[in-house]
Amino acid sequence: MSMNFSEFKKLIGADPWNRDPETLRARNSAPEFEKAATEAEAFEEKLQSALQIQPPVDLLAEIRGISQQPIQQRSWMPLALAASLLIAVGAVGMVWKQARQGDSVESYLADHYSTDGPALVAQATDLVAQQDVYNIMASLNATVDQPLSDRIKFIKFCPTPEGRGAHMVVSTSQGPMTIIFMPKTQVTDGEMVSFDQMHAFLLNLEHGSAAVIGKQSQSVESLEAVLRESLKTGLLGA
Amino acid sequence: MTSNTERTNRFNELAEAYSTDLYRYAMWICGNDALAKDLVQETFLRAWRALDSLKDVGAAKSWLITILRREYARTFERKVPKFTDVDKVVVVDDEELEPEEQTERDMLRQGILKLEPKYRDPLLLQVVFGHSCAEISEQLGTSKSAVMTQLFRAREKLKTQLQKDGVTGNVHELF
Repeated sequence: MSMNFSEFKKLIGADPWNRDPETLRARNSAPEFEKAATEAEAFEEKLQSALQIQPPVDLLAEIRGISQQPIQQRSWMPLALAASLLIAVGAVGMVWKQARQGDSVESYLADHYSTDGPALVAQATDLVAQQDVYNIMASLNATVDQPLSDRIKFIKFCPTPEGRGAHMVVSTSQGPMTIIFMPKTQVTDGEMVSFDQMHAFLLNLEHGSAAVIGKQSQSVESLEAVLRESLKTGLLGA
Repeated sequence: MTSNTERTNRFNELAEAYSTDLYRYAMWICGNDALAKDLVQETFLRAWRALDSLKDVGAAKSWLITILRREYARTFERKVPKFTDVDKVVVVDDEELEPEEQTERDMLRQGILKLEPKYRDPLLLQVVFGHSCAEISEQLGTSKSAVMTQLFRAREKLKTQLQKDGVTGNVHELF
């Protein structure tokens, strides 16, 4: 049975480049079929043109950089878990106390970042006024100088494990990263912690500490030198 | 076992072949350039970790799209806000368009962003990735006839918007 005009229009409306024999036969069967097919193809060219957008120039290079990361070997997981369990059971007394402190910072970062971290990164598009940065940091007995102060795209007070701190989003050559300044919390200097597809680099400052949070494709530890140079703490000798 | 070099080469081939289309797809489903870039990077990060599970290279495109769609769904489960800044991202083509053609294309772009996901998703899979109706059906887990209906209606909606513009002559009233 041959295709009627309504069926033909629905078919080419769903798949304008359809070239199966039945569709071609219908197309050639009458002028209005041919006209409808030609119009559908013209619209399709406009649609394809409208959808053409160029990706960021650095996208491919950044993706290639992913392959420089170590591969997580799943087959080692059971063995690693068993070994971890043995170590944990054997050394529970000493480890427990230290682990508790480390876990608390890690848990805090995971909870805190999951609350609004990704949203704040997405919203942070313009540089923050230097005066706003100064006001917030001064109330935490700290200052942020260049070069970090020139990169801050968002800053607000935030809760930390011990009192109030600051939550910043900074621009870097690897994309935006988040810095949590914890004025009264000590961390294991240089430790990396992971949570929910993110990772964080912890560093102790003269007073308090900071965590640099980024995606696992970002080198969060690369901000260490900038942070140590720019983030000054304990201005009042506290 | 595949050597690290082979693995890296295989990954880089996937990145070269599909990163542009994945970015376009991500951009049109989320409407935000930064989020689109993040989605594509996360997609390839997951692909890198799970690369050994990809046995059929012919299935790579669908595999990557599935990863990206899951990542997108997961991102929005975290209530990341949605922004629409496609005008900032789209590149002005070299070809010189008449003002009417330029307006029409802008209208189409806005129209695509405004389409409901059930119409937009199959349309993007077809136009951006060149998927057949059967492939879209498999990707979205719906019947082929449902996909064809959604594709037809997606185009009809876009055409209707353009025709409305032709009647009123005011593009700003349409969206």
